[in-house]
Amino acid sequence: MNIVTFVKHVPASAVTPKISASGTRIEEDGLSYEVNETDLYALEEALYQRSLHKGSVTAVTVGPVRAKDALYVAYAKGVDHAIHVIDEALRGTNPSFNVRAGAEVLKQLRPDIVFAGIQADDDLQGQFGVALADAVSLPVITAVSEVRIDPAKRIVTVIRELGAGFKEELEADLPCLLTVQFGIRLLRYTSVMSIVKARSRKIESLRGDAQPFALQERPASSHLRVVELSYPSNRGNCELVTGSAEEAAGKLVRKLVDGGVV
Amino acid sequence: MAGGNVIVIGEAGKGQTESANARLIAIGDQLAEHGGGKLVCLLAGQDIGAKAAELSHYVDEIRISDSVQHAHYDPEALLRMAEQLVDELQPRAVLLGHTFMGMDLAPRLAAKLRVGVASNCFAIRIEDDAVYFMRPMYRGRVHAKVTMDSTPMVATLQLGGPEPPLSNRAGEVKKIDLKPAESRRIRPLRTIEPVRTGIDITKADIVVSGGRGVGEKENFALVNDLAEALGGVPACSRPLVDMGWFSTSLQVGLSGNTVKPKLYIACGISGAVEHLHGMKESRIIVAINKDPDAPIFKVAHYGVVGDLNEIMPQLTRKVRECRSQK
Repeated sequence: MNIVTFVKHVPASAVTPKISASGTRIEEDGLSYEVNETDLYALEEALYQRSLHKGSVTAVTVGPVRAKDALYVAYAKGVDHAIHVIDEALRGTNPSFNVRAGAEVLKQLRPDIVFAGIQADDDLQGQFGVALADAVSLPVITAVSEVRIDPAKRIVTVIRELGAGFKEELEADLPCLLTVQFGIRLLRYTSVMSIVKARSRKIESLRGDAQPFALQERPASSHLRVVELSYPSNRGNCELVTGSAEEAAGKLVRKLVDGGVV
Repeated sequence: MAGGNVIVIGEAGKGQTESANARLIAIGDQLAEHGGGKLVCLLAGQDIGAKAAELSHYVDEIRISDSVQHAHYDPEALLRMAEQLVDELQPRAVLLGHTFMGMDLAPRLAAKLRVGVASNCFAIRIEDDAVYFMRPMYRGRVHAKVTMDSTPMVATLQLGGPEPPLSNRAGEVKKIDLKPAESRRIRPLRTIEPVRTGIDITKADIVVSGGRGVGEKENFALVNDLAEALGGVPACSRPLVDMGWFSTSLQVGLSGNTVKPKLYIACGISGAVEHLHGMKESRIIVAINKDPDAPIFKVAHYGVVGDLNEIMPQLTRKVRECRSQK
């Protein structure tokens, strides 16, 4: 089983990024990065499927030089190969460039199954996996929470979420692409040491600006343009209750009593 | 230049999120009026005649495919219908709910039409001739005002907001004949209904919800104790379900349950966009979190910044004292 899984290197989700002076992007200076969370779930599923069906797992990322750190995490978790399409110009933020780059890699690798997280924590679009599948004419199923592959019949049966606790069972022909929902497998802990050791592993690098698909790409052709970034306003006009734990608890209970809910 | 028509892809039937329809119609109506076009709803499902009749009062036209073929959500079938309708109406916008159907179908349609898509939009702004969508980025820590340089604009809209006022429309209901596809690479097999166990968190007046910030599983006792003291029910956010602590029946959020209690207390929940979907319409929201920048504080009415282990036992004690005096 030839398995490919996509990982994106995104700003750490626990921190609010700083909006740049232009107001249309975030400041990269001083920002820490991590592997996109649902891509980690996709990675775990890819490795689990390899444990059942043998074969290899290749992790792929599209992004600037720093994005190779995401591939070292993938190595530490157990992938066999890693490919980095280096994109300094657009820095992994242009959806259509990412799709073209991903498509080019898939054309070379000819996988049996492709995994990607359901959405990226930075743009929250949930578009990459579906657009990539379209670009290489693979069937795609989104929000997948369970995967059973039958290599002999060249079929995969999956459970996907429909929301409000409803789920759907579907089957698809291989090769296909699945976008993976949070929680499909438990995320295994990866030690810092194992990531450090992974830094000696070989990453196959492709220069994004040297690829044939780069020539057709212009920065403005992502179709979706950010006009302005802002911090969310306090919709509920959140009133902060302060003091020691005991004081704060006392004040809060009085407010809830006044509000008629306690 | 495309016309001003707007297509909304509604939801009806088993496993679909019918509550998305109100927002779609409200925003679709605004866009259609601005563009001087028709508001057309596409609806697919099985035994959805009554729902179509209900929705027809709000739109100029409703295209319905009521067939056993739609007993389960079939992305390829719905995509073909949407593409066909776009081809016919040349709309300025196609709107879908930010539901598991919309999140699946919108990028498929955008890819086929070679246009952009804005997902998860919570508002629309019309400024002169320009249309902007407001959507979260960076896990909801930043909001983006975006515009699309391609037509039609494809967008998924967050649920919520008031019901649209009943308009005088008597939209014509037209049936679509969907021919079976020549080859089906994706085959829906069955829809699985949720298993309802024990507590129904959607009916409770008070919900105390714990998230990743609870830390260890034993610590969830803090949530249970506060819920019990308040006469409410405990619930949780998605990470605790993913870690195998609880089933989806206790989960608040897009993939779990939507709750609208009188009081919602979020403990150690950062407020991912998907979680906010499920609780933002609660009457009073309290957030307890150690991160003052956590997005949950943006929707909360009251916030306590600090350690759950210190605050929650005190809060439980004060609630018990207060209720015993009544």
